[in-house]
Amino acid sequence: MSLKSLTKDWEPMSYGFLDASAKCEIRRKTLKAIAVPGCQIPYASREVPMARGWGTGGLQISCTLINPRTTVKVIDQGADDSVNAASIRRFLSRVSGAPTTTDTLKADLIQSRHRIPEEKLREDQVLVLQVPNPEPLRPVQPNMSIARQMHADADYGRMWLQLYEQIVRSGRVMQGASYPSLVHGRFVMTPSPIPRWDVPKMHMAKHLTILSAGREKRLHAVPPYTRVEPLVFDDVPYQVEEHGQLTCTRSGAKGYFMNEIPQNDGTSTYEVSDSELGIKTIQKADGDTVELGDTWYQDGEMTQ
Amino acid sequence: MGAYPIPSEFEARTNATYEALMWALSRPGLPRDLPSAGQAGIIETLIDRECAVYCEDADMAELAARSGAVLAAPEKADHLFLSQPPAQLTGLRQGSDMYPEEGATLVMPVSLGSGGTLRLSGPGVNGEVTLSLSGIPQGFWAERTRVMRYPMGFEVFLLDGATVIGIPRTTVVEVL
Repeated sequence: MSLKSLTKDWEPMSYGFLDASAKCEIRRKTLKAIAVPGCQIPYASREVPMARGWGTGGLQISCTLINPRTTVKVIDQGADDSVNAASIRRFLSRVSGAPTTTDTLKADLIQSRHRIPEEKLREDQVLVLQVPNPEPLRPVQPNMSIARQMHADADYGRMWLQLYEQIVRSGRVMQGASYPSLVHGRFVMTPSPIPRWDVPKMHMAKHLTILSAGREKRLHAVPPYTRVEPLVFDDVPYQVEEHGQLTCTRSGAKGYFMNEIPQNDGTSTYEVSDSELGIKTIQKADGDTVELGDTWYQDGEMTQ
Repeated sequence: MGAYPIPSEFEARTNATYEALMWALSRPGLPRDLPSAGQAGIIETLIDRECAVYCEDADMAELAARSGAVLAAPEKADHLFLSQPPAQLTGLRQGSDMYPEEGATLVMPVSLGSGGTLRLSGPGVNGEVTLSLSGIPQGFWAERTRVMRYPMGFEVFLLDGATVIGIPRTTVVEVL
């Protein structure tokens, strides 16, 4: 064994920003996360040149997966052009040379903050969700050691109680985003703060979802064709946001998740949250040839 | 702008190997292609000084040791690179209910395409998938089902040359 064999050639920076040992660890932990769907796996969560809480968890997964042939799409609350999305997209492209896109259909790797695109994802696509708080039990058990024991015991009674109390107090489940969901019948996860609208998209989906919380140093995953069932009582059906009848004022798209834009006169207008879907709808109306993929929702109804 | 980092050969190889392993485990029973045949590529992709590794092949052991990993007995190892299926499964690391990720990862050779037929179902499998392979003794899969209690368990990568098939602990394996 020579010294040469133990060292590597000098490089100005590691490809994809993260060094080899960071990637190695994330690879091992992601494999275990896929093997135990919905279980939060602790990982080291290295420093990246971005403040914790702004998508560092998702960024580390993307940096590990990326190569020069990976087409990357980054979205922030459905929009490709918000500051967070644009910055992460530019960063990923700069550290890897990977091509970027805003088109859901053309992307191999989609890093997202709090939304799942409206167009159905395929079997070869990976969705990386940025997660601020991966622990569904935190509102009912702030001690994370006890919460871990509760996960180990599948002790989710307090989750049900929390939902029951919301119904008693308000007449309906008030949980808007990060609706607690049972993965593969065993682990309750918080599917990052995606709206209730997006949770059914994860159930038996074709794509792989990796959820990573950089600040909390945990990741979990939902493999393709895996059951993801929101916690619901038998007599209180799961309800998504009532956006099915809304029409986007800018694009005319109807039946998708909308952003509410308050107006000066107290009313609201709406625009479609998935900005690329809005753009495609406008292009199609203009007569351009655009490929609009199948959407999970049609006319505001979930299709399966 | 314009100057992008170029992946080194090592980076390109480990990236492609990981992608194959990730999809193999995400879609149990569907074969994926590794960039190179054999266990060496998997070792350089996954193993570093944080691992406890059991290798039956002396060359693989040297490769793993060079990464800084500790060479350990099968029951202590988190990654096992085997030359044949293990004689018994009871001693393998399965993690705990609190830390199921501490379960072992087994990499072992098989011959795909001939021999007994398995039917797989579970997460990652669209309905069910069947595959034929030989090189695994009778009773291995029944024993695997017997010793594992979800969420505890271990993962298996079946390796035939440069083709890999992943069997995570969630997969239900029936011998037909």
